[in-house]
Amino acid sequence: MNRILGSLLTLLSYFQVSAQQYPVLTQAQKLVIRTGEDSLSAGIAKNKTVVSGYGSAFYQRDFNKGVSAVTLERAVFFIGHQFNSKITFFSETEIENAKVEGGEPGGEIALEQAYLQFRFSNSTYLVAGLFIPRIGMLNENHLPVNFNGVERPMVETFIIPATWRELGVGLYGTIPGRPLNYSVGLMNGLDSKNFEHGTGFRGGRAEGSFAPANNLAITGALQYFVSDFKFQVSGYMGGTVGLSKNGADSLQLNSGAFGTPLYLGEASMTYSHGGFSAKAIGTYVTLPDAYKVNKAYANNVFEHMYGAYAEVGYNFFENIQNKKLQEQELVAFARFETLDMNSQIPSNGIYDGTLKQQHLIVGLTYLPIRNVVIKTDVRLLNTGPQNPELIINPNPAAVPYQEHNTFFNLGIGYSF
Amino acid sequence: MDRRSFVKQGCSTCVAIGAGLWIGTLESCGPAISTFKTTQTGMKVSVPLTELANSDFKLVRLKNFGYDVGLQKQPDGSYTALALLCTHANNPLSKTGNGYTCSLHGSRFDNNGNVKRGPAERGLTKLPVQQLSDHLEIQLQEARVG
Repeated sequence: MNRILGSLLTLLSYFQVSAQQYPVLTQAQKLVIRTGEDSLSAGIAKNKTVVSGYGSAFYQRDFNKGVSAVTLERAVFFIGHQFNSKITFFSETEIENAKVEGGEPGGEIALEQAYLQFRFSNSTYLVAGLFIPRIGMLNENHLPVNFNGVERPMVETFIIPATWRELGVGLYGTIPGRPLNYSVGLMNGLDSKNFEHGTGFRGGRAEGSFAPANNLAITGALQYFVSDFKFQVSGYMGGTVGLSKNGADSLQLNSGAFGTPLYLGEASMTYSHGGFSAKAIGTYVTLPDAYKVNKAYANNVFEHMYGAYAEVGYNFFENIQNKKLQEQELVAFARFETLDMNSQIPSNGIYDGTLKQQHLIVGLTYLPIRNVVIKTDVRLLNTGPQNPELIINPNPAAVPYQEHNTFFNLGIGYSF
Repeated sequence: MDRRSFVKQGCSTCVAIGAGLWIGTLESCGPAISTFKTTQTGMKVSVPLTELANSDFKLVRLKNFGYDVGLQKQPDGSYTALALLCTHANNPLSKTGNGYTCSLHGSRFDNNGNVKRGPAERGLTKLPVQQLSDHLEIQLQEARVG
């Protein structure tokens, strides 16, 4: 028992940085200690609290519907605070579509992240709280200045539901001496009751709000850097029923930490050199007990779904002999996405051809300075046919479903 | 969930986290990043020149200090030392094939510490390096943030 207590005290004292750990002190270090900062912070910063953020707004023309819309898509405020050199707080608060009114449909105010980071070393840290797991390319790095296209990629919206955050703990690190990063996470699971036809498992995320914690999820990722390439693989396995055993039994669902599981696998690659950039991703999701979920909740969920995209881009200003323009970017890009949100359905499901989609996006991304972006693109959409069985109350005035559509987008974004 | 299942799943979780920590001790896959582990003396760190005899880059890993140092030998024979801490929000940086990256918000820096991708606005803090007879002396300092 004494040994256990001793180990616990050692662990707890690790995150308490004291001057006694550093017998050799310079005048500068002594000064920092006298001002209430720890000696390690002498190597970090005077500013303990960081405020920053990002946001985007766009105009979209839907040619089939003949309508246009403009919205302040999101404004996100980031606050971070460094308690000492080993413990830091990070948060992101998001306002979507500018306005939220009580009882009215519309925008959203939500925490995108809020977690404590405990640094074991400069290459290993643990996060605890509401955090974004490393799955896909966009989920972790979703600033508008860092991706092409006014809209986020569809694959990383509907197959990987970015920005996907959950409550839990995550361990991040680098293999010593290798360009290999890893992460593992344990977090709350999904809620299959809230899966909605046509949006994958997006509706099943708790996003930190009263998440069912009877069921859990684990996730892991590996990133490998070589030359101008980055490769990543990641995986997720999580239970989707947070009910008690009795509650789950009554719906003929499997409960427990990983009951009625959902599996996701992803592999991606990015390349950047001399103004040329390329990226590609493939992801696959399976819900083996989709039949039971459908039977319990009648939400016409998928059993398998997949998505993939590839993108190439070229920055015209990268190699130009003009110092002013070299600090700017003008990227022409093209991206092709293919996805099917019901590539396989359970026998009690109804297939929806409109969820099998291809998107071709061609556009320009202009950054007059590093953290401000102006974007424009055209998106060509092609889907499968609509299934009449899914039209329960047909609107006599509705125009026939069109399998091809075109969208024009114009947007701005910033980060700081 | 009964108690037995709860204990079983709790233990499995601990094993998974332990496996994650164990991964951190692996050193045998992928091309190596030349690393020199040392301890600073006051606010100075000494790196023997022999450490850069076969490589133009050395990751200087400091024990119990707020950041690592990226030490680069330049074509003209001079040395550049960079504080590997993101200038946006103080997160430690990872070495990539052609620079450094921050996993927190996606900032990227080239090998000379220049910003290649935001939200970081300022390049990495350059630390003074003095070349002495058989070693380099790096003067550590506060890395500016924000």
